[in-house]
Amino acid sequence: MIRLEGLSVRAGEFAVRDISLDVPEGGYALVIGPTGSGKTTLLEAVAGHVPLLAGRVHLQGADVTDLPPEARGVGFVYQHYHLFPHLTVRDNIGYGLARSRDAAPERARRIAEVAGLLAIEHLLDRSIRRLSGGEQQRVAIARALAPRPRVLLLDEPLAAVDPATRTMLRRELRALHEREGITTLQVTHDFDDALRLGDLVAVLAEGRIVQAGRPEEVFRYPNSAFVARFVGAGNVLAGEVRHAGETTEDGRFKARFTSGALTVELVAERDGPAHVVIRPEDLLLSADPPPTSLRNRLQATVERLERLGPVTQVHLDAGRPLVAAITNQTAEELGLRPGSPVWIGLKATAILLV
Amino acid sequence: MPPQRLPHPASRVALALLGAVLVLFIVGPLLRLLLQATPASLAAALADGELRGSIVLTVLCATAATLLALALGMPLGYLLARSRFPGRRLVQGLLDLPVVVPHPVAGIALLLFLGRNSPVGGALGRLGLEFVSHVPGIVVAMLFVSAPLLASAAREAFGAVDPRLERVARTLGDSPWGAFRRVTLPLAGRGILAGAILAWARSVSEFGSIVILTYNPKVASVLIFDRFTAYGLPAAVPAAVLLLLVALVVFALVRLIEPRERT
Repeated sequence: MIRLEGLSVRAGEFAVRDISLDVPEGGYALVIGPTGSGKTTLLEAVAGHVPLLAGRVHLQGADVTDLPPEARGVGFVYQHYHLFPHLTVRDNIGYGLARSRDAAPERARRIAEVAGLLAIEHLLDRSIRRLSGGEQQRVAIARALAPRPRVLLLDEPLAAVDPATRTMLRRELRALHEREGITTLQVTHDFDDALRLGDLVAVLAEGRIVQAGRPEEVFRYPNSAFVARFVGAGNVLAGEVRHAGETTEDGRFKARFTSGALTVELVAERDGPAHVVIRPEDLLLSADPPPTSLRNRLQATVERLERLGPVTQVHLDAGRPLVAAITNQTAEELGLRPGSPVWIGLKATAILLV
Repeated sequence: MPPQRLPHPASRVALALLGAVLVLFIVGPLLRLLLQATPASLAAALADGELRGSIVLTVLCATAATLLALALGMPLGYLLARSRFPGRRLVQGLLDLPVVVPHPVAGIALLLFLGRNSPVGGALGRLGLEFVSHVPGIVVAMLFVSAPLLASAAREAFGAVDPRLERVARTLGDSPWGAFRRVTLPLAGRGILAGAILAWARSVSEFGSIVILTYNPKVASVLIFDRFTAYGLPAAVPAAVLLLLVALVVFALVRLIEPRERT
């Protein structure tokens, strides 16, 4: 369990303020944020490397705020591995065991066990200098796990490896977490990590957590234009909400949202300047006008098409630029070309006001 | 990077010629001196009790100065590499100062500072520590000119060790001292050792400040000067040859220990 209560840290030009976060025992949480939002500083504060301005850190029920790093029982993995260059792979992994009272055979057994978990037994006698990036990252994770830490802290563990290795390591991290059940806090700038790895995600912006929740939830219902853009939730438009009907008992009303030359109908709770989020897969494209059951029926022009695996992204001009995601098959049936006219159907309830 | 070809053969010849002049200028005199080292003259030099004693004194004082420089220079080097404190740049600049102070000037300054009539020298004298015309004076003069070299080398060596390596060691259970001993020191050790050997060699070759602070007992460089002024060139040569051989051995050691550029 990791519990951060109102953590504030300042380290050089980076600062994080009033961070509160609860990662349950055995949970996998990710803090995501753009470069320079203070993510590494936050992790180093949990590990005890940087002094806190305010707040408490609890690990597995114990308040460790006043303990030095060596007494906290955290495993730490940096983005650039930071393996000890003067030691072999075996001695790197065994580093945290050297002080333990265990006998040498017990230490050797643990090194072999952790190396087995990460499939790096064949590297044990190698020098650090002759390892690939993916191998170095496995060694760094093994080194952190060997002394059986209470929690695992991962600083962008996948950012420095090539895309193929990243996908593989990500899968292995998840499998490793499920097998070992160690409470994990990872920082990343890649929302894919959060969707594929985490039970919990917190979005960091300028040193503060702006939204936290289950990854799918944050992806589906971003609470601000910043989060929507950052998690890649789709079309984010700035504009203005105006009343277009009576307010019902629950405080909601029919409204019009105008952004440039684009106007859509939606259900709103407040008016005035706002952002809306429209997910690409909620834009229904057709050659003929959509059925009148759909609130919003817009005419648009295709600007360009982008094929991403089984999905085609259609970049549209509908008064404002919009991106729709349709299957390759639908794209072919509609015969879409740059310049083709096309109808867009959009449910009023598919428009998220943030 | 592949070596670049110079555009004009003529400019290559010109560069080679100018380079050769400098190389010959360095090698020539030393070679000339080494050629004096016939077995007979070396035997005579080694049989000279005063000369033997002065070389032993030089080596012992240089070793003491280097150990002191290590004890004081490593902590300062670590501090300069790791922490940001007010006046850090000033301290760093002060470390370079002895390089520009002419050594006899350093000797005068040390004499004023440590002489029996100064507060510091007087106080230490009452404790039984005499500098002027005593062995501690030699060590202090050597320390003054060599310690900055070692502190700078230590600063660079520590600075090249990523502090995050120490942080990783801490999360793996090391105390600050443990992380220093198991990670930082092994990684910086080579650079510090090279700095120590350089400081030692600088101490052995020191003359200007020692001659002012402690003329007697004579270190090798002072003895060579003394023989030369009192008896002329032939008397100074055997001592010079012997000191040169000691210096060359140290030079070879430094080249062996210095981190290689390639690999």
